[in-house]
Amino acid sequence: MTSSAANSVMIEARGVEKWYANGYHALRGVNLSVRQGEVVVIMGPSGSGKSTFIRTFNALEDFQKGSIVVDGMPLSNDLRNIDAIRREVGMVFQQFNLFPHLTVLENLTLAPTLVRKRSKVEVEREALELLERVNIREQAHKYPGQLSGGQQQRVAIARSLCMEPRVMLFDEPTSALDPEMVQEVLEVMQELAREGMTMVVVTHEVRFARQVAHRIVLMADGLVVEEAPPEQFFNNPQHERSRQFLSQIA
Amino acid sequence: MTSTPQAPLARLRRELFATPLDGLITLGLVGFLLAVAAALLRWVFFQAEWAVIQANTTLFAVGRYPIEQQWRLWLLTTLLAAATGLSWGLLRGPSRRWPVNDQLAAGILIVLAVVGSWALKLAPAIQLRWCGIAALMLAVRWAAGRWGHTWPMGLRRLVPLIWPLLYLLGMVLISGGLGLMQVPPSEWGGLLLTLLEASFAILLCFPLGILLALGRRSDLPLLRWGSVVYIEFIRGAPLITLLFLGQNILGFLLPGGLAPDRVWRAAWVLTFFAAAYVAEAVRSGLAALPAGQLEAARSLGLPMHQALIHVVLPQALRIALPATVGQFITLLQDTTLLSLIGLLDLLGTARTVMANPEFLGKNAEVYLVLAVLFWCCCAALGLGSRALESRLNPLTTAKA
Repeated sequence: MTSSAANSVMIEARGVEKWYANGYHALRGVNLSVRQGEVVVIMGPSGSGKSTFIRTFNALEDFQKGSIVVDGMPLSNDLRNIDAIRREVGMVFQQFNLFPHLTVLENLTLAPTLVRKRSKVEVEREALELLERVNIREQAHKYPGQLSGGQQQRVAIARSLCMEPRVMLFDEPTSALDPEMVQEVLEVMQELAREGMTMVVVTHEVRFARQVAHRIVLMADGLVVEEAPPEQFFNNPQHERSRQFLSQIA
Repeated sequence: MTSTPQAPLARLRRELFATPLDGLITLGLVGFLLAVAAALLRWVFFQAEWAVIQANTTLFAVGRYPIEQQWRLWLLTTLLAAATGLSWGLLRGPSRRWPVNDQLAAGILIVLAVVGSWALKLAPAIQLRWCGIAALMLAVRWAAGRWGHTWPMGLRRLVPLIWPLLYLLGMVLISGGLGLMQVPPSEWGGLLLTLLEASFAILLCFPLGILLALGRRSDLPLLRWGSVVYIEFIRGAPLITLLFLGQNILGFLLPGGLAPDRVWRAAWVLTFFAAAYVAEAVRSGLAALPAGQLEAARSLGLPMHQALIHVVLPQALRIALPATVGQFITLLQDTTLLSLIGLLDLLGTARTVMANPEFLGKNAEVYLVLAVLFWCCCAALGLGSRALESRLNPLTTAKA
């Protein structure tokens, strides 16, 4: 990672506002800027709009006001533009969302062969390398239903990486896991951060946030309340709402 | 569970003869069932006069299809038997023992071919032909199960394509053209017409139903409301009124010559009717799929149509399969309504036979044979669907 690359902005969200169909005001003007190679952790109480916010980055949620630019491409309603952005943005879900009717290997190769039109042999070789990296290569020909939750989530991360994304979004990736499986997933994410991947992570894992994040963002009631490096955020939060949140999760 | 000879007896005693009253009820019910069975068997073997069936086998099978052209139907039946055996064997994959359902199906097939054609007093040559066709199907089933898995995957993927091709070939064989003598639809009848109408409607209503189900869940208001109105209109009307409507309205709307023949008009009405019900079955499959599946596919950059084809539909259709096949079975039985609009399907043919003074009062014999024929067709559909279901379940196939 060069210093000039580190300066280029990967995600730029300005004044994002969203109302749900029932009139609920979920995002009330959120600003966030993520530089290339940066790891941003978004924390906050449930219902604060964290998940909704990062799901606007790849247009899984629409928004009514404000602007979002991803890797130089402004998000618009143009479908082709949305597909182009989704190719560059990987996403890992709380519920893994692996495709249960495909093997682990097929889960990884589906999108690169269909969307990027790459040769199957080449993609399979890369997919196996990725599975090796998340320590799960021996499961390549099993079906997702035969794996543990932690293994499934590592497959989901590998599946996203197989599209060679420029940014990875994590939506509470360890919240649905049994406690003993959380660590194996966090280790993979930590490794990814070390390699310079740009990451936006919604999580409640304080230790991960402390060790890996460059910046912590606290959201509450559809707004960004505080933005600070982890040391400052955890040891000396500036806002009353942050102190309250930290006391609740401690 | 391992069952020693003692275990079933002990269980019978525990469950059926626990108290004196239980024993009395059990004995009473068993006695009643035995009496009914005895009466039925006595009627079948000693009182019923099967001449009404034996004299009309050709009529029941193919209606007034010209005798000198019937070799075309024999050829088609042979091809269908081979294709069925092939798909059957490949679906089951390699396993030394046949599953219980397969043994059952094979047993019924052999009994029908040997005992059935003997009891119907078919000509010896025809009896032999039926036995040959049954043997061919089972032999292909055995061979495909034994060696099918050694074929390259690409070849095996092409096998389902045999069916639409065979269907087109079948249409040519049945109706003529390409150098064969024309046999107009008015001369088709009996089981031939019933199966033709049902298979035409089944093949076409399935894709149509999928499109309607997707339309009903679409974000585009025009598409969504169009689908809803169509589905609810069709489901709100009895099939028999739609059949009458189809016979009258299609001829009325389309200029002469363009309007399809009465047989085809009925086939289209059946198709459009069944599509509405299949759409609801497919919709239940789509609704049962977690929203995260589509989100995951879309977030990987798959455009909508690819996400549907590769991620959503394979899973949704598997969930919807039992309900969909239930609709197909209903559709097959609904073809009997065609007799009410004057077509000579199986039931229509049966009614003409029963109206023949020579066979007056032989209704019970005719209806029993009809019931057995329909039961065989529906059982085949049901067995096929269950085989497909277990084949499509990744967790059961993974073990193989």
